[in-house]
Amino acid sequence: METERLIVLPGETIDPSLIPSHQKLPLRLGPGLRHIPPSDIVPTVAGQLITNPARNSMWIEYNSQRYIPSTSDLILATVTRATPDAYLCTLSPYTPPATLPTLSFEGATKKTRPILTPGALVYARVTLANRHMDPELECVSAATGKAEGLGPLAGPGCVFDVSLGFARRLLMARSREEGGVGVLEMLGGEEGAAGGGGLAFETAVGRNGRVWVGSESARTVVVVGRALQETDRAGLGIEGQRKLVKRLVREVR
Amino acid sequence: MTAATTTPEAAVGVLPRADGSAKYSHAGYTVTASVNGPIEAQRRDEHAYEAHVDVTVRPAAGVGATRERHLESILQSSLSQIILVKNFPRSVIQIVLQIEDSPENDYVNTKLVQASLNFAIMPALIQTAVLALLSAAVPMRATATATAVATVRQGGATKTIVDPSPREVETAQSVHVFAFTSHDELLLAESEGDFTVKEWDDSYETAKAICCRPEPTKEGIAMVLDDETTAGPDMRHFLRLAMETKVASDLYWK
Repeated sequence: METERLIVLPGETIDPSLIPSHQKLPLRLGPGLRHIPPSDIVPTVAGQLITNPARNSMWIEYNSQRYIPSTSDLILATVTRATPDAYLCTLSPYTPPATLPTLSFEGATKKTRPILTPGALVYARVTLANRHMDPELECVSAATGKAEGLGPLAGPGCVFDVSLGFARRLLMARSREEGGVGVLEMLGGEEGAAGGGGLAFETAVGRNGRVWVGSESARTVVVVGRALQETDRAGLGIEGQRKLVKRLVREVR
Repeated sequence: MTAATTTPEAAVGVLPRADGSAKYSHAGYTVTASVNGPIEAQRRDEHAYEAHVDVTVRPAAGVGATRERHLESILQSSLSQIILVKNFPRSVIQIVLQIEDSPENDYVNTKLVQASLNFAIMPALIQTAVLALLSAAVPMRATATATAVATVRQGGATKTIVDPSPREVETAQSVHVFAFTSHDELLLAESEGDFTVKEWDDSYETAKAICCRPEPTKEGIAMVLDDETTAGPDMRHFLRLAMETKVASDLYWK
């Protein structure tokens, strides 16, 4: 826990002593910062300045609703239309469609390609994000040729909208320790002393602020989705999440 | 000077469905703004190299007319200056400003609640728009603060009034609206009425003192907000405070 947050507004000057410097690594700027040559680094959004001296990087941590695509983000896209060589997908409402080439699925050839109907859900990676072009997606790892968890999301389930910051927290490798989200572990955990819900479900979290919850039981889908949305909206801590899970699991029985 | 002594109030993120929103009230005016964007532009709004900033001003009662279109065009050109429009070509950043409340003029008996817009509302509109843009995390070059100043001639002497009431606007010789970016640059200067260059300069200095007051030095808790030398609210400090609260509540888990 830090003692004091360093909150910046757009256009404020960042104290040069806060900018990390490294012998070999180049300085990496993350979201919310822009570099004005020769040497100015200026925030463009309101948020907390985070620096990582070990990796020589800095970024602004903030929460928002509107997803702006960036390369190698995992996202949940909805197919809207099929063209001969690509599917057109939406990542967020009222934004230009992203293209998902029919060949960028595992094992897809010109003869065999996955058939996706409008409305189908796809878990994909952004391969091209450029302000002058519509984003491009892929459902296969270019290095290995394997799907690695990406692809169409079939089976019973439902999509829930959360804020982008919450989606990022869910995607953290250690989301409970770093992101302070333990709601999924709690819902899926063993019943009994640990206070787990003992529910069986699977999730796919997209950086575009959408979470797919899949389960054979419709009740489970609703409970998990509601738990996620309430945690996001009410800003619950670990203890609050535990109480919420307890309540929701009791209600559903 | 009752209006000037009231402190501005703001709530950020009040509308759950919009990308960003803010509610702001000061000097009798209450405005709610929503910001959506960047979203896909319609063909007629599309610009190949920059985002189109679409501002809509809606009066408290009735439908918008020429006055609102005029305010919209002024706001649109000012806000395009601080938003990084080049980052989002072929898209739209949509800002809707709904006026909820405006101070009543006790001297004029208006039955109709029809909007009668004037310059005095512009600072509230700009301030709300900036707060909503910050809430939507739309990339910006700088933030902005705005204020209105009226010049009143009383028995040969001129007096400047900050955040004038409708009555004061009516009796004033001239009314000026100023907006400044957080880099102390003049963003907007609109004036109406009779005034001399000297009076404009005085109004400018008064507005600048309100909009661009330097950060109080954080030596312990010696943050004096209302010292005798400067009158009126400290807009920049207010803006920062409102956003600090918002960011802290967003990042409660950090």
